Amino acid sequence: MMLHYLLRRLFLLAFVFVALTIFAFSLNYLFPGDVLSNFTGLRYISPEQETALRRILGLDQSYLQQYIYFVRRILDGQWALSFSSQQNVLTEILLVMPATLELASYALLLSMLLGIPLGILAAVRKDKWLDKLISALALVGYSLPVFWWALLLIMLFSLTLGLLPTSGRLSLLYEIDHVTGFMLVDILLSDVSYQQAALKDAIRHLLLPAVVLATYPTTVMIRFTRDSMVEVLEQNYIKTARAKGLTRLQVLFTHGLRNALLPVTRQIGLQFSALITLAMITEVIFSWPGIGRWLIDSIYQRNFPAIQGGVLAVSCLVIVVNMLTEILHTLFNPLARRF
Amino acid sequence: MKKIRLYYEEHNKGPMKLLWQHFAPQHFAFFGLIALLVLVSLALITPVLTPHDPYLQNSQLLLLAPSWQESGLVSYPLGTDDLGRDLMSRLMLGTSYTFGLAILAVLGSLLIGLILGCLSGMSKGVKSSIFNHLLDLALTIPSLLLAIVIVAVLGPGLINTIWAIMLALLPQFVHGIRNAIMQQLKLDYVTAYRLDGANNRQLLFSVILPNIWEQLVLMGTMALSTAVLDIAALGFLGIGAQSPTPEWGSMIADSLDAIYLAPWTVALPGLLIFTTVLAINLVGDGLRVAMKKRREN
Amino acid sequence: MQLLDIRNLTLELETPDGLVRAVDRVSLTLKEGEIRGLVGESGSGKSLIAKAIMGVLHQRWKISADRFNWCGQDLLRLPYQQQRQIISRDIAMIYQEPSRSMDPTATVGEQLAESIPDHLLEGSWWQRGYYRKKRALALLHKVGIRDHTVLSSYPYQLSEGLCQKIMIAMAIAKSPKLLIADEPTTALESTTQAQLFRLLASFNQLKGTSILLISHELETVARNTDTLSVLYCGQLVEAGDTATLLKHPLHPYTHALIQSVPEFQPELGFKQQLYALHGSIPTLQHLPIGCRLGPRCPNARKECVKTPVIERQQNHFYSCHFPMTGKSSHE
Repeated sequence: MMLHYLLRRLFLLAFVFVALTIFAFSLNYLFPGDVLSNFTGLRYISPEQETALRRILGLDQSYLQQYIYFVRRILDGQWALSFSSQQNVLTEILLVMPATLELASYALLLSMLLGIPLGILAAVRKDKWLDKLISALALVGYSLPVFWWALLLIMLFSLTLGLLPTSGRLSLLYEIDHVTGFMLVDILLSDVSYQQAALKDAIRHLLLPAVVLATYPTTVMIRFTRDSMVEVLEQNYIKTARAKGLTRLQVLFTHGLRNALLPVTRQIGLQFSALITLAMITEVIFSWPGIGRWLIDSIYQRNFPAIQGGVLAVSCLVIVVNMLTEILHTLFNPLARRF
Repeated sequence: MKKIRLYYEEHNKGPMKLLWQHFAPQHFAFFGLIALLVLVSLALITPVLTPHDPYLQNSQLLLLAPSWQESGLVSYPLGTDDLGRDLMSRLMLGTSYTFGLAILAVLGSLLIGLILGCLSGMSKGVKSSIFNHLLDLALTIPSLLLAIVIVAVLGPGLINTIWAIMLALLPQFVHGIRNAIMQQLKLDYVTAYRLDGANNRQLLFSVILPNIWEQLVLMGTMALSTAVLDIAALGFLGIGAQSPTPEWGSMIADSLDAIYLAPWTVALPGLLIFTTVLAINLVGDGLRVAMKKRREN
Repeated sequence: MQLLDIRNLTLELETPDGLVRAVDRVSLTLKEGEIRGLVGESGSGKSLIAKAIMGVLHQRWKISADRFNWCGQDLLRLPYQQQRQIISRDIAMIYQEPSRSMDPTATVGEQLAESIPDHLLEGSWWQRGYYRKKRALALLHKVGIRDHTVLSSYPYQLSEGLCQKIMIAMAIAKSPKLLIADEPTTALESTTQAQLFRLLASFNQLKGTSILLISHELETVARNTDTLSVLYCGQLVEAGDTATLLKHPLHPYTHALIQSVPEFQPELGFKQQLYALHGSIPTLQHLPIGCRLGPRCPNARKECVKTPVIERQQNHFYSCHFPMTGKSSHE
């Protein structure tokens, strides 16, 4: 039963990937400029190279054939070269992706730790002043434009109070080898004398961007958890459990939470896509060396192969995360297993 | 004046009146609605109202402070930016760009989404399943990413960002409309109409659409807040509105260099974006609560 | 011993159209070991009364009563915590749609084990889990479920009849003095209905549990109860021993109810028209003043705009100005 479901999900995943690669493939033709340079990323193509490349790419053959070559190149890791650096786009992406992942995952963690308890609190004390306060704060946070919020916090904490740094991941004083790409992990893995100081510094750099990025998901989490919890608390089985003689706290934790948090887990996966959007803007403001800033720079430079590669990579990431959360959701939800 | 009831009569209010009855007592939502109406009227009639020309540069009065500070002038109520342009006029004109264009984008997306959603909601079978999976794919691509791709293809500029925002909002609308239609189709009264002999087109227009328009309005408000934030974000990143267009997001980006000297040039446009989105969200929340209360009564 | 003694219970709700009295001065008594039936059409407020006894009414409702005694203690005057303690110790309730009254994400075994109170388990605290499971199995056997795989299934995998039996098992886990059954068999087929009533009767005889059986079907209630209370539209219309009530109904409504049930009319001819009161139940916004049956009652006269008081004839209570047989209250 589970196997059947997993197989169906994998089939869907493959279908979605195919659609995505078709989209990326078509971008080569849609972007302005020479098709050949879009495909390969080479700036200056000599005439001999041109004929050879035309053969490899299959530009004289049908679109379908070109598409198959394209997919094969993608799976081989032979992505186009970036216009600006003439390096393989894939290697550049792999360099910058962990930074974004680190920021996004800390922000997501923060939003879950803060948002879910606050949402539950607001639902339990529905229509009292605590609920109104939490809901009002959530509404305000939901309406803040992320870049303005980041600027305000920078003005307050970095410029006025001087507590936190304004940009980057780590102060230039510290040299940490790039092992995984995740700064905190790398610091813990390296055995340098200044490990403690570097760790503290990295956290100070991480704090402001993470807080800014976590604002929106936290508010969404608060609102969603509150709505879900309120709906669950009105159900019949909660009343039965109360009538059975369980205390309010017991009913809340054993029956209420399990039922209310199920839709929330699915929502977390859906939030990831919005999180990436916000992460891109946050990275630009804080000069965080992640894939968001890389993509935005590529668009300023009209670096089409980089844009294409970046879109492919980010979409793949979002799709995989969505699928994982959906599988997790079905694992934990007895009702969904009916199918 | 209170209505005088001379004799006993049934007063059954229609659904719209009931909705208003539940919406109006919510003070915040009501203020949000008033704020929205003010903004909409600003967006429409601003070109006539601005005290100064928003594009006129005055090199004598660069970075003038707002009028409540000592160095400010009353004739420039909110000060000027780094090119000497009156901030208040630019902010007012910005309403038409950020807010007005967001409304247009949402309306356009809603219309197209309605067509596509109806087509996919009323169809069944393999065709519909493929469409749904494509939709899910479109939903997963982040909206900013989509906007970036479209801007890369079409080039930067305000019109292209509108297309980008419309395409980014489209999947949400189609998904929502499709779900709403499928929910309605399961209900018994639709079956009753079908048994009466209604074909799909009649069913769609006379039965289903009148019942889902309220959900559409709710979806529209959520999309509107996303649209305003996205237009501002794209303007801020420089891939949306280009200067000298006084779009709020690009105004913030332009004034970023002078943030120490003139923080109001950064704070005020952002404040306006915040208030607009807050008003939209207040109205959306108020509508949702009003609909829930109306259903319970 | 009087278990439940309710006098003049009134339940009111604040609506945009004014204060609505859903239950108007209803009195109810229950003795130990008695099976009482509460009959009324939908909208008569019987579920509301059951919820009021259990203390799970929504906060919007205003409860007032002259007397609301459980085993001599007035529940309305007690602080909330004590109320809940007494109620959860002594009263249990089973509901109309059993599958919806169970948590969909917890297995049946977990929910059953949860309803077993701590003080009924022997052994020290680390053995509690084991003894809990043993008691859960024993409870299942008591309600007639032999299949042990039920314990590890989820509610949506079981049939309604099975769910209802599990609900009964959960209810009797704490050996309550009163079991309130709110339309327990409405969603079930007749064979399961019969099983369930046999079960309830066995609990009543073996353990002395009193049962308050709420239903809108007169046939089932008549067969399985000792005493009966008939409600119409939130007002108590008649109450007394079932046998006496069915043979000599005093209130026109009870009379109409009995007449409309074909099982109680042995002389009903072939293809004869069935009897029914004309009109329908008034909505909450348009409740008649005085006796609420007034507009529909075949015996109605001018005096019926004043609510009749409850009269008593040898353990047979009725509230009518012009009862079917016997003297009128005006003589």
